[in-house]
Amino acid sequence: MPLQNFGSILNFAEELESQDRQFYEAAAGNPACAAHQSLFSELAAEAGRSMQTVQRIRREYVTEMILEPIMDFTRAPFCEACEGAAVQGAAEVLAAARRLETRAERYYAEAAEKIKALTEVARALRTLGKTRKARLAKLATRE
Amino acid sequence: MAYGTKEDVDQAVKAARAAFWEWRATPPLSRARYLFRLKDAFENNFEDIAKTLTREQGKVIDESRGEVRRMIENVEHATGVTTLMCGYTLEDIAKDIDCKGHRQPVGVFAAIAPYNFPAMVPWWFLPYAIVSGNTYVLKPSEQVPMTQTKIFEIVDSVGFPEGVVNMVHGSKEVVNAILDHPDIAGVSFVGSSPTAKYIYERCGATGKRVQALGGAKNIVAVMPDAKLDAAMPSLITSYYGCSGQRCLSGSILTPVGDVADALLEKFTVAAKSIQMGDGLDEKTSMGPVVSAAHKQRVLGYIEKGIAEGAKLILDGRNAKVTDLPNGFFVGPTIFDQVSPDMTIAREEIFGPVVSVVRCKNMNEVVELINSRGFANAACIYTSSGAAAREFKYRVKPSMIGVNIGIAAPMSFFPFGGAGQSMFGDTKGHGQEIFNFFTDTKVVIERWL
Repeated sequence: MPLQNFGSILNFAEELESQDRQFYEAAAGNPACAAHQSLFSELAAEAGRSMQTVQRIRREYVTEMILEPIMDFTRAPFCEACEGAAVQGAAEVLAAARRLETRAERYYAEAAEKIKALTEVARALRTLGKTRKARLAKLATRE
Repeated sequence: MAYGTKEDVDQAVKAARAAFWEWRATPPLSRARYLFRLKDAFENNFEDIAKTLTREQGKVIDESRGEVRRMIENVEHATGVTTLMCGYTLEDIAKDIDCKGHRQPVGVFAAIAPYNFPAMVPWWFLPYAIVSGNTYVLKPSEQVPMTQTKIFEIVDSVGFPEGVVNMVHGSKEVVNAILDHPDIAGVSFVGSSPTAKYIYERCGATGKRVQALGGAKNIVAVMPDAKLDAAMPSLITSYYGCSGQRCLSGSILTPVGDVADALLEKFTVAAKSIQMGDGLDEKTSMGPVVSAAHKQRVLGYIEKGIAEGAKLILDGRNAKVTDLPNGFFVGPTIFDQVSPDMTIAREEIFGPVVSVVRCKNMNEVVELINSRGFANAACIYTSSGAAAREFKYRVKPSMIGVNIGIAAPMSFFPFGGAGQSMFGDTKGHGQEIFNFFTDTKVVIERWL
């Protein structure tokens, strides 16, 4: 499905954050991941805050949106299945978490480029992408 | 939605009158605090309002979000009342005599709103009126009553004193009851020019203040030095945003000199890429027009354009949306070879129909714009500062875009046109709106 306007780009970002929050909440409650419970809870809370940031961007900068479709940008490359966080082993959950962070970082970078005419929005998306990079670094230290 | 009656208007005005004296004596900052709470409540219900608006009016969800944003910006601006409503003083206007000008609220005001921006337009007026100490009666468009009903549920949750803000739904009976009511001090209106003139005359007859914003026939001139690729997104938005149902929409596209063919080629390609559909669908970039009757009106103008000899290069008459066969869709339409005297170059169409009138030079552009009667907005695309300056200096419309397709003033600047596009002298929002909602009482004093 194409991401061809301001609303769809922000809506998909909201979906990513929502999906990630659910993933980390499930992971935090998984007994097999007890050693990482604190980190997963932190990441879930961060995803919640990022979701609010995305919603705020959508509310506050929407008057700058343009009608002409944004080209060559679709959801498919950024879709990641992430079921099982509540029951899988720690190594699998950590691997899935890294995949989610990588795809989000990539999404925010590409979305910011696609919407670069709206500088405030692009900057906010880049910032969200940087947050994901930092989260990925935290996950990289875990085994 | 049941229509209100003359009696309902009277009841609302009585409630507003009863609330006036206590409300006007409430300190301005306390009145502003209601608006701060209202802003928060609007933010918390932002998506809900936007979705209601799209479901009711048909515009795409991003356009609805933009409209709700602009609505909230007026609430934000009005909270500056403690600065914006200040009066002024001068000592020693004569020996030992000082003079003060107090800005006082006037009483009960009313607004009669249009269908094209059901959320935003009432809020060009309402927050300024009440924060100044007046009380208010609003009549939304009978074609789109649900959006403002949703908004008033939120208004109710903020807890304004009873009678400060009132709403009456209805049609012409309610309009006339507002215009004729002896206890309404002023009326704000946005709609078509014939109705604006009617409102203006009838308010004059009953001694009311009036600001009546009418229709438009906006011209966008594209100079030979315009950057076409950079201009295209905002040009397309200008003509097809909100399906052309905006008083700031481009209506006539005027290529100047030899840019015409290149411009039309790019513009037509971009117009063809517009996807019509359900406004809540992310893939949709243009929704339907507001009603079956309005669709017929727009189609009638297209027929008239053909009959009068304009060249139809993109035909939106048979536009279909597969899942919505009964929707009021009119596709992007472009006429080339339109002459200034054709109906489609003179009358407001209020739909996604572009009339291309080619001009040779700036003088022809200015003559075309200044001969329309309407004088709401005009835009120019150019790389030349000199051309832009000449344009904004010579054309009559009051809202000018330079490399901007929709010259929409934000809440802190006045919104309104000239000529047949505006009846009255105080425009919507901006700083001047406080003049409309207050009387400057001058006190000349000497202590003996």
